[in-house]
Amino acid sequence: MDYTKQIQEIASKLFAEGKIDVFVGYRLTGFDENQVPVLIRDQKDVSQLVFNDRSVFNLVNYLKYEHTRNKRVGLVVKGCDSRSLNLLLTESQVKRDKLYVVGIACEGVVDEQGNKMQNCMECVFPDAIVADEMLGTPHEVRKYKVNADIDELASKGLVDRRVYFEEVFENCIRCNACRHSCPLCYCAKCCIDQETATLYNGANTTSGAFHALMTWSLHLAGRCVDCRNCEKACPSHLPLHLLHKWNERVIYENFQEHLAGVHEGDRGAFYKYSMQDPDDFIM
Amino acid sequence: MEAVANNQLVSIEKPEIVAPPNWEPVIIGILCNWCSYAGSDLTGTSRIQYPPNIRIIRVPCSSRVDPWFLIKSLQTTADGVLVSGCHPGDCHYISGNYYARRRFLVTKKLLNFVGFHEDRIQFSWVSAAEGPKFAKVVAKVTEDIKKLGPLHLYKKENFEK
Repeated sequence: MDYTKQIQEIASKLFAEGKIDVFVGYRLTGFDENQVPVLIRDQKDVSQLVFNDRSVFNLVNYLKYEHTRNKRVGLVVKGCDSRSLNLLLTESQVKRDKLYVVGIACEGVVDEQGNKMQNCMECVFPDAIVADEMLGTPHEVRKYKVNADIDELASKGLVDRRVYFEEVFENCIRCNACRHSCPLCYCAKCCIDQETATLYNGANTTSGAFHALMTWSLHLAGRCVDCRNCEKACPSHLPLHLLHKWNERVIYENFQEHLAGVHEGDRGAFYKYSMQDPDDFIM
Repeated sequence: MEAVANNQLVSIEKPEIVAPPNWEPVIIGILCNWCSYAGSDLTGTSRIQYPPNIRIIRVPCSSRVDPWFLIKSLQTTADGVLVSGCHPGDCHYISGNYYARRRFLVTKKLLNFVGFHEDRIQFSWVSAAEGPKFAKVVAKVTEDIKKLGPLHLYKKENFEK
């Protein structure tokens, strides 16, 4: 999967036609084969752009910052990224007519060690859903798979799970990189940043981390698209996907197979309801 | 239930925590104004006894209950939480309890996943005419949580220096 040439051509053409102000893509870090996001503002810089199976980050995240706000943006999206873009469009956070989206029929990306990422092996929608232009051959329809880590952890006992997660929350340093890297956390003032709210436990302790991560994962329940930007950003290498994948599984199994961002105009699972929702846990 | 070793009650999540003698659980009850709160009022005016372990908070609707409330309750004093609202179809705001139902399920499952016993968070539909049912619900929740022992997970005072 190498679309470097095509993407450079597309970006160059868009700049020449004056269709975009900024192009969000990937470039090499400069010291190894890994890549970092780059914002290209001029046609002469287009040669920096690359795209291959090391293009791991979700560039939709860059639509929430000032350098792309109210500008015409060109953007590269893989399957998972396009789902988060779809959600941002549905939630009226970005304007479709200001975007030029280069969609990729993604074959999966690899981590820094060169192993295929776990979420790519379980990917349900590898092809970009929102796109002005598609690169690559589209894939067949895939089936939803339950995450292997979730299965393993859920089969353990209550005390084992408590011990496991206590360590996870203990290692959190509350840097909030997970929130900053999440394309769907776009609130200008986040509820877990409030200094005066007495409800919020703001301490940099295990209890504070527990409160923050639980709140965060519940705000993303039914919206998380499993792009794993948060895990790539986490300096403590916490298994943050466990919380999201667990919510995703509960929501998929109980709420009519809801998956975030796969249909246009479909908001998160908590913005709608059904008469068939399970009621057996309520007295 | 590994509760009765030398007649001592231990926390189900943390077996090293032993309940003090004559320990009584604290339960936060978050009740919707239009049905469950009126129902609990009826319980009182009908002179029906129910356990005094529950501390009631009145909210406008069960969908007013943010999962924060539950997490915060469990992190401070509560050993369990009961959220109660109108029966499906009876919501004063037409559809609030349907939205709440989805949120409750996900919150309950998530907290169970990270190590809280599922009976720590309970939900019920109680209408304004169901005074006896409210007494039964509170009795059941109290009994359930008494079996689980005290909650000592992510409590604020345990971690702050």
